[in-house]
Amino acid sequence: MSAHDHAVDGQLPHEPEKATLQARNNILGFWLFLGAETVLFGTLFAAFLALRHNIGDGPSANELFKLPMVFAATMILLTSSLTSVFAVQALHLHKKKAMVGWLIVTILLGLSFLGLEIYEFFEYVHEGHKFTTSAFSSSFYTLVGFHGAHVAFGVVWISLVIGQVLKKGLTVVTAPKVYISAIYWHFIDVVWVFIFTVVYLMGKVG
Amino acid sequence: MSAHAHGHTVKRYRGLMDWLTTVDHKKIGILYMIAGLFFFLIGGLEAIIIRVQLMKPMNDVVAGDTFNELITMHGTTMIFLAAMPLLFALMNAVIPLQIGARDVAFPFLNSLGFWTFFFGGLLLNLSWFAGTVPDAGWTSYVPLAGPTFNSGHGVDYYVIGLQIAGIGTLLGGINFMATIINMRAPGLTFMRLPMFTWTIFITSALIVFAFPALTVGLVAIMFDRLFHANFFEVANGGSGVLWEHIFWVFGHPEVYILILPAFGIISEVVSTFSRKRLFGYSSMVFATVLIAFLGFMVWAHHMFTTGLGPVANGLFSIATMLIAVPTGVKIFNWLFTLWGGSIRFTTANLFGIGFIPTFVMGGVTGVMLASAPADYQYHDTYFVVAHFHYVIVGGLIFGIFAGLHYWWPKMFGRMLNETIGKITFWTFFIGFHMTFFVQHFLGLLGMPRRVYTYLEGQGFDNMNFISTIGAFLMGVGTIAFLLNIFITWAKPRNAAADAWEDGRSLEWTIPSPPPEYNFQQVPLVRGYDAWWKEKMEGNTAMTPAEPIGSIHMPSPSILPLIMSLGLFIAGFGFMYDRLIVAGAGLVITLGCMVIRSLVDDHGYHIEPEDQEKGVKA
Amino acid sequence: MSSNHDHAATGNVTKRHKVEGPKKHIVGFVLSLALTIIAFAAVAAGEINTTFTYIILVGMAVVQVFIQMAFWMHMKDRGHLFPIIGIISGAFVVFTMVIMAVYWVWW
Repeated sequence: MSAHDHAVDGQLPHEPEKATLQARNNILGFWLFLGAETVLFGTLFAAFLALRHNIGDGPSANELFKLPMVFAATMILLTSSLTSVFAVQALHLHKKKAMVGWLIVTILLGLSFLGLEIYEFFEYVHEGHKFTTSAFSSSFYTLVGFHGAHVAFGVVWISLVIGQVLKKGLTVVTAPKVYISAIYWHFIDVVWVFIFTVVYLMGKVG
Repeated sequence: MSAHAHGHTVKRYRGLMDWLTTVDHKKIGILYMIAGLFFFLIGGLEAIIIRVQLMKPMNDVVAGDTFNELITMHGTTMIFLAAMPLLFALMNAVIPLQIGARDVAFPFLNSLGFWTFFFGGLLLNLSWFAGTVPDAGWTSYVPLAGPTFNSGHGVDYYVIGLQIAGIGTLLGGINFMATIINMRAPGLTFMRLPMFTWTIFITSALIVFAFPALTVGLVAIMFDRLFHANFFEVANGGSGVLWEHIFWVFGHPEVYILILPAFGIISEVVSTFSRKRLFGYSSMVFATVLIAFLGFMVWAHHMFTTGLGPVANGLFSIATMLIAVPTGVKIFNWLFTLWGGSIRFTTANLFGIGFIPTFVMGGVTGVMLASAPADYQYHDTYFVVAHFHYVIVGGLIFGIFAGLHYWWPKMFGRMLNETIGKITFWTFFIGFHMTFFVQHFLGLLGMPRRVYTYLEGQGFDNMNFISTIGAFLMGVGTIAFLLNIFITWAKPRNAAADAWEDGRSLEWTIPSPPPEYNFQQVPLVRGYDAWWKEKMEGNTAMTPAEPIGSIHMPSPSILPLIMSLGLFIAGFGFMYDRLIVAGAGLVITLGCMVIRSLVDDHGYHIEPEDQEKGVKA
Repeated sequence: MSSNHDHAATGNVTKRHKVEGPKKHIVGFVLSLALTIIAFAAVAAGEINTTFTYIILVGMAVVQVFIQMAFWMHMKDRGHLFPIIGIISGAFVVFTMVIMAVYWVWW
């Protein structure tokens, strides 16, 4: 199997990310890791749900959250998920340039999401919603911050993957890295679906 | 496969560097065992001091503060740093061999898992030298463990040490799941897997889905303590019960993480030494899966007295009692496996047979505790202490001893001495029951746990004295085991491939200890108990599933050690509020991750002519 | 190793695979978009009763997650048995915890 380790661009199989046993191990292992991440975020959600009404002296979720900003962030992340799936599609067609292009778009969208989130956090702190204000604020910043940290990690990771693809070309070694980082990116988006639902929209409802 | 296409030369280390850089699952297994035994001795020493303090009423061997530190560190060390690594030792030593694989799915992560566990454990135990030891119990309940009532650095050592060690455990869980799913030999379907492999598969799944909850709990308590968050600060809207929920959502599956592998070991040992196929194999598999499933729905039985209300208490009570059903299935399967077998009473099998009644006793007290109204009586008494030591020592530690005696020749190529082995068993077995049997009655008489002394004249005196003598006897058993290791070390490495002659699974088809590539040719598996089946058909070797050829091996790496060291440094930085140090540590770790991502690991090949020379692990 | 079999299968795919179009991904995107907008609109409207809004919100989120996992994370493709088992197990643990949290706060 390892004979394929050094296949060059022209001879790639249709799904180059699954060509070697190590690559299949990596993909499976990463899925299991995502199972663990599900529990990690789930525990943060459970803690947040248990504490979200305990606002102490701070502002309530309803006073704090602004739907237009959350909606913009949601759109950005949703679109970035689409662009990363386009990158995987380009990978299957062995179109290196298109793939790198879509990955760069994904990173830019990820960065704008992060920018928006940092701006949002500054606003909240300004309105008296600090990390140490109440149980609600602590669990809010921990949950949303964990997600933000995942986005930041994803941006760095995908940048590294782009660098490797440009340097080493599209091979059965680099292809699984693109595929796995795309799966990770989708997962971040899936977590965000629950964050905007449970934290922001439910917070707005009361 | 052309060997010449892979001209990469890989530096091979020798001596100490070999052990620090190894990615070979057999060597990592040995590292886990050495570290696990080391922490087992530390935890055991703490237990002996606890028992000496409780030997007579109003004793003053240690002060109350020290006693709190001792019970906290004893529990934490034994669970996270002794029991789990010893399980990981057996997993690493045996699983790839049992499934006919040349290594685990992620050799690099395997090494990383060991080093993060080791540095996490080291950090936790350095608290003894720092003079601020965790003292809020191994469950670290808030507000006792919160910043208001525990302002020293003690609990920080607990939080950060376990956080780092937990990363290693999670990596191990993912690794073994992926290994068992993807790396099985041809013909080795899931329903032909040896029972030990099955239990490790399920245990790994439990690790993957339970440990993240602990991670979050530890992050929350760390934020409370270091950054003034309010997760558990009641004054600012936090909740102490939240910690209990999070801790036990992890903590209860953790109990099954510990005991399921012991079930697997006992299944292998009992079946081998009865010379019989394991009775009810498929019901055994089903029972294992069912225990794991139910294990996630019973956590609140640790919290009956927090006032969850009758509905929640009732549901959790019933769910807990349900677990007795699959466990009972297992007990009867072992008994029927023994029934009519030609039993050999080796040390491993003595521990296996000793396990069965002991574990039944632990299980029965478990069902008693599961009854919520009765639990109000038992709660926080020595009855609970007796119960969980019966399942963890009488279950898990007996299982680990059975496994170590059983697979020792496979790991090291030397048989352990059977006479000393039997001394180990009898002293440990009798000592164990002496220590913990009487504690049931101490609990029923009302002696509270976690209290450093008691007044005379309450009927506690004699039983506490007996308990302490028992603890010393267990110490003697452990010392006998260590002596056995040292004495056997001087003997020649002459164990046969099928060291017990009655081996049933694939690990007994290859030399003891195996060469570093395990299987020169990956075997073809034709049924459950693959090796036994071949032997019964008069074959002297497995049918190979591939021709002899060049074998690809992963290259050794020092990065896992450095990455773990980075986390270790970062941990101290966070604890003592030196964020620059913390940042530097994290940069070391992340830098290693970047290096690992950028530099391709091509590994190296062992050619057929070198395989003949028999490269030993 | 079981991989030999998979490997052969991969080889076949090269010959008979159909070039996938971007269509299904765009369909997934439009569906996600619609579900998101419904959720936001339900809250912005602000006149529906609270419990009913909660049900709409959670329903939209769950459907959207299924869509994204199936379309974008390739979970409906073959060979995804263990990823599916993994995610479902994780979701099961989360489900029990969230039920606990909600039960505990509401009652």
